[in-house]
Amino acid sequence: MSTASGQDSATAPSGTPAIPAPVDIRAEMRRGAQALAAPGVPSSARGVTSDLSVDEALLLHAAGWEPLDLVCGVAVVSIPVGVWNWGSGAISLASDAHDAAVDQAMQAMRAECGRVHGHGVVGVRVEVAVRTHHVDVELVGTAVRPIDHAGAGGADAAEALPFVSDLSARDFTLLRRAGWLPVDLAFGASFVYAPRRTAGAAMKQKTQNVELTNYTEAMYAARESAMEKMQRSALHAGGQGVVEVKVTEGPMSFAHHAVGFTAWGTAVRLIEEAHRFVRPELVLPLDDAVVTFEAESLRGGDRGRSRRGP
Amino acid sequence: MADMSDTGGIPNAVATPGAPGTDLPEAAVHRLGSGAFSSGLTVPDFAACLDLGLEPVALVQGFCVMQWGWYGPQSNFMRGMAPSVAGQAPGGYNEVYRCPHGYVSNEHRTWGQNMEQTWVEAAWAQGYGTAFRRMLEEAATLGAHGVIGVVDRIAPVADTGTTEFHFLGTAVTVTDGPAPSGGVPWSTYLAGQRLTKSIEAGFMPVSVVAALASVQVWAYCMTDYLMRGSMGWGTPSGPTLVEQISKAHMAARRLARTHVREQLEGDELHGASIDVVTRELGEGDEVIDCTLRGNRVRRFKDFDPVAPPRPTVRLA
Repeated sequence: MSTASGQDSATAPSGTPAIPAPVDIRAEMRRGAQALAAPGVPSSARGVTSDLSVDEALLLHAAGWEPLDLVCGVAVVSIPVGVWNWGSGAISLASDAHDAAVDQAMQAMRAECGRVHGHGVVGVRVEVAVRTHHVDVELVGTAVRPIDHAGAGGADAAEALPFVSDLSARDFTLLRRAGWLPVDLAFGASFVYAPRRTAGAAMKQKTQNVELTNYTEAMYAARESAMEKMQRSALHAGGQGVVEVKVTEGPMSFAHHAVGFTAWGTAVRLIEEAHRFVRPELVLPLDDAVVTFEAESLRGGDRGRSRRGP
Repeated sequence: MADMSDTGGIPNAVATPGAPGTDLPEAAVHRLGSGAFSSGLTVPDFAACLDLGLEPVALVQGFCVMQWGWYGPQSNFMRGMAPSVAGQAPGGYNEVYRCPHGYVSNEHRTWGQNMEQTWVEAAWAQGYGTAFRRMLEEAATLGAHGVIGVVDRIAPVADTGTTEFHFLGTAVTVTDGPAPSGGVPWSTYLAGQRLTKSIEAGFMPVSVVAALASVQVWAYCMTDYLMRGSMGWGTPSGPTLVEQISKAHMAARRLARTHVREQLEGDELHGASIDVVTRELGEGDEVIDCTLRGNRVRRFKDFDPVAPPRPTVRLA
């Protein structure tokens, strides 16, 4: 490959990445148009489908991976009647329903990934809806595999449990470069009844500025419980930790006396001997923000003032 | 304009504004013949378009308003008519669930069914395909080679019970480039730098593609019980997978991908987006509509491996 300066990339100074030759994009466009000028040849080949952007596809390719197919996993699990009635403490049946729905959806997604011989799924979009009598979980992502899949374990790797990750292709690429591999989506959920005070305690505290310790303790315990379940599921999947953890919380729309907490992220494990430092380069942008003129500044005392726009 | 009753495909003939046989609105004829170009591109996208050697010709659009019923002419299915009486759904995905309880009462849901609504899918495809074809027809009229930055909108028209399909895009010509095969312009949802990167990576847009999969769920007794909180006879006491609904959701997504794949003819689908709308009809009864759309692209050169990008940290 020749660099823009005519220097052969093979002779580039050590440690300096080779600069790819500039592409004549107009010629490429004409070449592409030429490809459509001839009638298409019907093909029964199974084309790639993916929800990745062009940037993500290029990044994946640079990391030695390729997209294969759009894959989904959906599960609806029932919640027994009476679960949301007034009570105290954790609502374990709701948590169980949540866990079961997530497990089933991930199983379905892995099965679809396995059918196209994918080694994993990246960029999984997670949608969880907790309703009065059922929990709905939907997962959508793109199955991927190494370009040199034969050399990366081949059929064995494809038959192994494919990983499921909600990391974007960018984050997946960065993670791989650092020597880590996503293992699975780790989930944890906890539902609790909002604690109640006795009438006497409520009256007594009405005119006081006090911490409601029963509230604090209940919420604290529920949040910890969700996160603990998430970490336990990560360990169960063979992960060493969880990255990109998302936490949601809030009262149930159909039962305001119940509060739900969920935590999920991608479980990861180190596959190299040690973590590889990515060593990002520091970039100092020289393109100062543009000084823009505000028409409003013509009025009143702000005359002549300008601001810096992005 | 091409035959309005045509349900698929795209025009092969290039029409002339105002010429006999075309039914473009008069304003469209004047607009397209005015000599000035118009474009829905942002300024950065417009600049990228010029860099790519694409010359904007005009903003082109296509419309189609459709109506379809819940039950098509081929459908014999309604709640209360068992599959054994009414026969099977005309083609497509179909699963029947039988009550495990035996005779309970006349109101008992002794059967359930997941059924692909092929007539709804066909109507949707007709509306989408017709609006798309009309947009391409406008572009072909102007001698354009492609349409970039396509935006489609599918929305109900007020409360008339109808659905409008609307396409909008910027028709372009490729400088010194050949006309596409058959005079049918290529099209893509992409524009600007994203289109440039796609071309640079060796993927030429062929067409925007989309499909709807519609699955109707008639719940049988077990599904009905579970969706109401497991109060039925023979249902487990704890959280339980609602198999019928879960399978219907998976089927809707699978069918949408199958329908789109049928349009790819070996090409690839990039930037796919999947949208699901569920309409509940009753306890457990529902309709699941899954729409999948994306860019059909054709690889015109071997994928040039890009150098591993360098991670950077911006000093602000």
